[in-house]
Amino acid sequence: MPPSRSAAVVTAPLLASVLLLSACGSGGDGGGGGGADGKPEGSITFQTWNLRSNFKGYFDGLVRDFEKANPGVKVRWLDQPAENYAEKLSADAGAGTLPDVVNVSPDLSYPLAKAGLLMNLDKEKAAARFKDEYTPEAWQGNTLPGLDGSYAFPWYLNTGPLFYNKSLFRQAGLDPEKPPKSYDELFTAARAMAGKPGGRTATLAGTPSIEDFGRYGVKLMNEDATRFTYNEPEGVELLTRYKELYDRGALDAQALTNTPEKSGQKFLEQKVAMNPGSAHDLGTFKKNAPALYRNLGITDAPNNNGKPNMYVMGLAVNARGKHKAAAVAFAHFVTDRRNQEAFAHQVAVFPSTKGSLDDPYWTKDDGTDEGRVRVASAKMLKGAVNYTPVVMSDEMKVVLKNEVAKALQGKKSPKEALDDAAAQSDKLLKRS
Amino acid sequence: MQRAAGRTPERRPARAGRVRTHRAASPWLFLLPGLGVVAAFVLYPFLSTVHKAFTDARTLTPGTWVGLRNFREMLDDEQFWVALRNSVLYVVAVVPLTVLLPLLLALLVHKKLPGVTFFRSAFYTPVVASVVVVSLIWGWMLDDRGLVNGILRFLGAGPVAFLGDQWLLLLSAMALTVWRGLGYYMIIYLAALANVPRELHEAAAVDGAGPLRRFASVTVPALRSTMVLVGALSSVAAFKVFSEVYLLAGPTGGPAGQDTTLVMLVQRTGTGLNGRVGYASALSLAVFVLTLLLMLLVLRADRKEADG
Amino acid sequence: MLAVLAVSVGPFLWQLSTSLKSTTEDIYTYPPGLLPEHPTLDNYKGVADIVPVWDYALNSLKVAAANVVTNLVGASMAGYALARLRFRGRKAAGLAFVAALLVPLESIVIAQFTMMRDLQLNNTLTAVVLPGAVGALNVLLMRNAFANLPYEVEEAAVIDGANVWQRFTRIALPSVRGTLAAVAIFAFMGAWDDFLWPLIVLSDPDRFTLTVGLNFLHGTFQQNPRLVAAGTVIAVAPLLVMFACLQRYFFRGVGEGAVKG
Repeated sequence: MPPSRSAAVVTAPLLASVLLLSACGSGGDGGGGGGADGKPEGSITFQTWNLRSNFKGYFDGLVRDFEKANPGVKVRWLDQPAENYAEKLSADAGAGTLPDVVNVSPDLSYPLAKAGLLMNLDKEKAAARFKDEYTPEAWQGNTLPGLDGSYAFPWYLNTGPLFYNKSLFRQAGLDPEKPPKSYDELFTAARAMAGKPGGRTATLAGTPSIEDFGRYGVKLMNEDATRFTYNEPEGVELLTRYKELYDRGALDAQALTNTPEKSGQKFLEQKVAMNPGSAHDLGTFKKNAPALYRNLGITDAPNNNGKPNMYVMGLAVNARGKHKAAAVAFAHFVTDRRNQEAFAHQVAVFPSTKGSLDDPYWTKDDGTDEGRVRVASAKMLKGAVNYTPVVMSDEMKVVLKNEVAKALQGKKSPKEALDDAAAQSDKLLKRS
Repeated sequence: MQRAAGRTPERRPARAGRVRTHRAASPWLFLLPGLGVVAAFVLYPFLSTVHKAFTDARTLTPGTWVGLRNFREMLDDEQFWVALRNSVLYVVAVVPLTVLLPLLLALLVHKKLPGVTFFRSAFYTPVVASVVVVSLIWGWMLDDRGLVNGILRFLGAGPVAFLGDQWLLLLSAMALTVWRGLGYYMIIYLAALANVPRELHEAAAVDGAGPLRRFASVTVPALRSTMVLVGALSSVAAFKVFSEVYLLAGPTGGPAGQDTTLVMLVQRTGTGLNGRVGYASALSLAVFVLTLLLMLLVLRADRKEADG
Repeated sequence: MLAVLAVSVGPFLWQLSTSLKSTTEDIYTYPPGLLPEHPTLDNYKGVADIVPVWDYALNSLKVAAANVVTNLVGASMAGYALARLRFRGRKAAGLAFVAALLVPLESIVIAQFTMMRDLQLNNTLTAVVLPGAVGALNVLLMRNAFANLPYEVEEAAVIDGANVWQRFTRIALPSVRGTLAAVAIFAFMGAWDDFLWPLIVLSDPDRFTLTVGLNFLHGTFQQNPRLVAAGTVIAVAPLLVMFACLQRYFFRGVGEGAVKG
């Protein structure tokens, strides 16, 4: 038979089946098996995000303890590498193979919850009864706008100081023991750095991100998170001040394209004087840049509204899992006070359970750098918020970064750039 | 690449046998494994991409039919035109170098010289070094306070912000692509050189042709189709460039997104849990059609040249 | 020549050097220190402590070896048919391979994964191999190689009454050894370096391939560039060895004839 016809014969049914498949939508397996109220039993999968390499012993122990306490349950622990985690989740979600308990941050849980794949913990009695074990901020941090509830058990938190390089301060004629405390002081110091004779030094490696706008006191979104509002006057003011710094050379030459990782590296290479970080960066400085560590200054990141920024991690429960009772029980077990504190003793993160941060470990400075940062950070966490809106997709972050770049290059006025960024992001938001 | 063929076009004799010397089913049996895999695991899944291009599907929702809306949106998207421009520039700048430099390298290391084995492996090293590592190191070399600027400063020139300027960034990425392609395409040429039957060389030698004549009359004709193939392959690769630009210019695609390439745009809009799969599929389809045209263009140019 | 050499090998040597640096050395100095002051092999041990390198390498090796075999067989057969046999539909078949070469792989990963799940193959090494089992690029390379063989080479065999399979295995294949070696290298490299597909298709940590496993070295809470460098060296070394082994096929010995019937 001639090829053209044979091709048509083969492709027509294929196309038809593709169309059919998409027309049915996702059949899905509905609500799945056991409800969340029963006795925990069955075998479940538990997926973490890049924790296997350093904490294998800890997690093996958790699984062992839980299985001992719940003889009917088998937990299979999976761990995914750092990169492409969202892709992996997408593939699993699309194929209906999402693990029963999943390690997510709010920006990852939002789309999953929206698609009905995660359990609403506030609506599920078996889970809601644990709500009071966590700090209100942490529970709130996993509550998703427009979806009426929290979709993940709060797990570890993080926040951090602003690190600065004392020797670069000294070279610029600034007092290394008096780091900038407010935005005004920060910008003044940056101007001094840029203006010093014998080669300019950049103070900051990056352009303002969404959380910088948040810390500056800019209202980022409207109440119900349907519209971006960072183009309000405070936002324009922050960007205008950044433009002045950029024009003077107070930002790194590649500030327009630097990622947070790149900025961190520039700080390690002592090419920029300041960089935000967190407690566990100290280990990196010590190990990889001893010369920098000797000159490391630590100060609070400035903010205009008394609310520092924090990052939240959570454990979500698959709404279509077969053994929900076991999944809820295990997710709660991993995030209960004892296990969270044990984990936070292993690495410099902070527990999200009520009362944990009043423990001497997080209130008493033991004289080491680590202890100092730990206590300072724990103090900051009281009242900290996760500034980055959970509905803000990566694409919207790129839009903001690129419009900010246009303003700094002088292609647009700061106001115009932020108006455009907000308008584009709103359009993306409406489509989602 | 294209030369106006002023001669009357003649049909080339078919390459395949002049008489059929096999059973009718044989070719299909030969094709079965390859065609089976490609059809089942590449072409068939691509059909769903084609279909999605006409829907507003997202990563986690199948979406509904929206007709040509994605394509209209694409034409209104300022980033799409920037990306198209960059991808086209990439092809124009990278392909000629990628066709010629590896060929020269291949001829160089094909000779028997002392220490040549070492050199062969050396040129091949960039191919195996992961693009991430390579970009990292290039990033250091091109940094405003990096190695290259150190040399420039030594020569009394001011620092050049290779990674801060959109055009220099694109150029740096192109250089990186050409450099990574050296070893890769060198292998293809070497393979083709190795296939040139010795008898031909021997016959030419018997006819009294010197090495140069032998090169011109034996080697070059034998490599001609390989050069075309390399041209076609590198055009497609250059048009679909992603890693080098992504790693040097950052995920935002350079300052203000001015260095974004088409595949970066596909990646930015279509991946992640919030991916606009419908729109990204439309972009993918556009990339597919454009690369197909590009490939046919290169092959057509070759045919024109060969005629006469 | 030397300049090209420096630029080519430099990055790799620098990786090697970083992987040998001990923990007392600054690795973020400017300019970067080229030689380790206290060379040590501890980083390699460190990598092995964090990830079961040998198991992962074995998985990668299985996948890569399978990929080499399937590609050599599938691509050479298809390439031969496209270059040497006359049949209706040859153009269409050729176009199918060209089309497959142009499909943006990023756009079909999830569809492929759903297929593997339907075939009950997800989380198996078979699923890692399948989509790339015969690369369209390799088919085109083989087609090009066969098409360049002078037809006379096979004519004698036709007259002797050899069937098509005999002509293919005894005459055509031995004459394109160079390209076969190239296909082997590309197939090995492609499988060895692939990251996204194995990551998506495998969920069991015991079955991870080396690239996926080495990604664990990028710690969530701490980066140790020395370990990352050591991992890179481990990942790249086999490819260099492979090239060194296969390169003699590109450069025939002087005494060797071209076609051995």
